Amino acid sequence: MWLAALSLIVGLVLGFLSEIRIPPEYSNYLSIAVLAALDTIVGGVKAHVKGDFDDKVFITGFFFNIVLAAGLAFLGVYLGIDLYLAAIFAFGVRLFNNIAVIRRLVISKWDNARKNS
Amino acid sequence: MSVLKKRKTIVLSGAALIVGMMLAIQYNTSNNPITRDTRDIWQVRTSLEKEKQKQQELNAEIKKYEALLDDYSQSKKIKSVQAVERALKDAKKDAGLTSVSGQGIFITIEPFSSGEAPKVNPENVRKLMNELNRYKAKNVSISGQRIISISPIREVNGQTYVNNEPIASFPITLKVLTDEPAQLKEKILSSQAAEAFVKQDLLIDAREVQKLTLPAYHGPIPVKYMKQVKEDS
Repeated sequence: MWLAALSLIVGLVLGFLSEIRIPPEYSNYLSIAVLAALDTIVGGVKAHVKGDFDDKVFITGFFFNIVLAAGLAFLGVYLGIDLYLAAIFAFGVRLFNNIAVIRRLVISKWDNARKNS
Repeated sequence: MSVLKKRKTIVLSGAALIVGMMLAIQYNTSNNPITRDTRDIWQVRTSLEKEKQKQQELNAEIKKYEALLDDYSQSKKIKSVQAVERALKDAKKDAGLTSVSGQGIFITIEPFSSGEAPKVNPENVRKLMNELNRYKAKNVSISGQRIISISPIREVNGQTYVNNEPIASFPITLKVLTDEPAQLKEKILSSQAAEAFVKQDLLIDAREVQKLTLPAYHGPIPVKYMKQVKEDS
């Protein structure tokens, strides 16, 4: 788990140092993709805490969600419908749910550990 | 650590790495977006020229301050006090707080006829000031009122006030210091401002004077935007 946090920080540093910037017209897609990726990561952490983590599901979910979210936003631009809102809503709700589940699991684990000691 | 767990950690870390990079890129993009340079070669050249000029000015300024710093850092304390005093004197002179003298032109504005005296329009006085400044006048005083950077010229109850003092009585006299009195005189007499005075039944005349003395500005100078420099900055 610590390795994941560490690599998140490494990624942030790499991103800042590389000074990569994307054209502003694509920044919407990137923000949606970031949200999707975050959601998948949190989902992965939840599965990890729960103990039913499957790396195939995780990897496919990670990339598929990113592509789907960006694709939805792209489609929305061409249809004139703010479809990215659907992605934001779905991922936002799931993000909160997953974080709540993680919190509960961690608390119950912690309680168990304290009772046993 | 089992192989499965190891794989799990690696996968999670890889995903976290990607998310981190995406976040950083998104942050970079939204905080300093790529701006396209749409200037043509002429505009680029002009701005280059401008920057060069700025650089020159800055270099000159650096030189000036280095000389000043040299003065300050002279071993004797008296020297630095002298330098400060000199700087203060220069600043006061620039601000118009000292009387100055030199060659220049003497402008008088009088009514054409001896009938009822026409009014002096502050608009015209301002216009005349603008023209004087345009033709490189160094210092100006209007009817004994020294014009500095914040001097107001305006109408109060039908009278024209300069530096919050009325300049009602004729003739109105302007003392203007300049390096080229003859040229300035010709330019002012043929200027639009002179014409504007003539249109209001006022006669404007100018003559060259070898030695003119302009009074100092005596009013308060409100400091609105300047702040004291901190000791260590």
